[in-house]
Amino acid sequence: MHIVDGALAAPVLAAGVVLSVVGVAIGLKKLDYDHLPQVGVLSAAFFVASYIHLPLGFSSVHLILNGLIGLALGWAAFPALLVALLLQAVFFGFGGFVVLGVNTFNIALPAVLMYYVCHRGISAPNTNLAAIWGAIGGAGAILLTTLLVAGSLALSGEAFVLAAQATVLAHIPIMILEGFVTGAAVLLIRQVKPELLRISEDWDDT
Amino acid sequence: MIRNLCLLFLVFVSSQSVAHNVLGGVYTIGVDVEGEIGFSNGEMAPLGSKVMVRDLQGQEIVLVETDEEGFFTFEATKRIDHHIYANLGAGHVFETVLNAEDLSDTLGEIMAVESADALETNLRGQMLVGNDLQALIEKAVAKQIKPLRKELNAYKEKASFRDALGGIGYIFGLCGIGIWLTQRNQSTKNKAS
Repeated sequence: MHIVDGALAAPVLAAGVVLSVVGVAIGLKKLDYDHLPQVGVLSAAFFVASYIHLPLGFSSVHLILNGLIGLALGWAAFPALLVALLLQAVFFGFGGFVVLGVNTFNIALPAVLMYYVCHRGISAPNTNLAAIWGAIGGAGAILLTTLLVAGSLALSGEAFVLAAQATVLAHIPIMILEGFVTGAAVLLIRQVKPELLRISEDWDDT
Repeated sequence: MIRNLCLLFLVFVSSQSVAHNVLGGVYTIGVDVEGEIGFSNGEMAPLGSKVMVRDLQGQEIVLVETDEEGFFTFEATKRIDHHIYANLGAGHVFETVLNAEDLSDTLGEIMAVESADALETNLRGQMLVGNDLQALIEKAVAKQIKPLRKELNAYKEKASFRDALGGIGYIFGLCGIGIWLTQRNQSTKNKAS
């Protein structure tokens, strides 16, 4: 998911920075005092998720969790993910500083989109339905992110179809895993802390 | 159907590296430069990945390919900084600079080093002087410290549990600052009203 320094062309990097700044600005504007701790906790969750590699076949995968972050935070996913990605670059060497804008945009925009697509679904009265919408949010965010990553690479000269094939196919196991995790998380949050998902719905109106 | 599923599985396994970092190292043994490129999950770069070696002005010195274990070698001909770059596709780029100081002293602007065989004959024969002796010593020392350098490189790339805890600390700290600032704003507003 993290594109590294040196893989992208300068205009793509610049566009990433501009778009991410806009996203972060909107996110900060919509963010209110009550939700700051949630933003922090989810930002920390994203930060650590990439560090924990789960074995799968001969290889390993890690969770990305941008779907869950989007469902819970909406636009505030932008600042949350920016901070987490910055710290991942500093501490783990994932991604890089020059590509921070592109990476933030590629991971946070799908999160925000999934919020709009699924936020009604996850607060449905039917629990199973809500879990399914949560799973759609988790898997969909990964799919969109892989397409954005492929798009960034394509704009920098790699053939889009090839890049997309490589990134999308490689992430299918992660999509399934994220779908399960996000669906389960939605179920759990609805039971133990429903305001985490329900209050965020009202952010639009404020 | 089953064959298709198997194929799909193979595709996953072979391209799984998309979710990982690119790691690598470059080591010198006298005038020979050896390097390896792989991913943080232990997979190595695919066979035949192109590795471009350029000088700092961007002029290509040599183009080599990795073998099945992600290794590549080339012989340095000048004692200058070498910029080594490999694009493994899908956003995976390995880039490093081999400093001139790491290369053998015996390399001048123009190469003047004999092959290893010639050195060996010299050794068996009688005398080793000046550059020859120095090249031999450098080679021997480089060989000895290569595993150490490799291990050190791997250690540097590995994110530790402490890093993870440190990052979480930063995030909560930032959150704290945010909460403090908003709290302060609110209390000044309250006082004003």
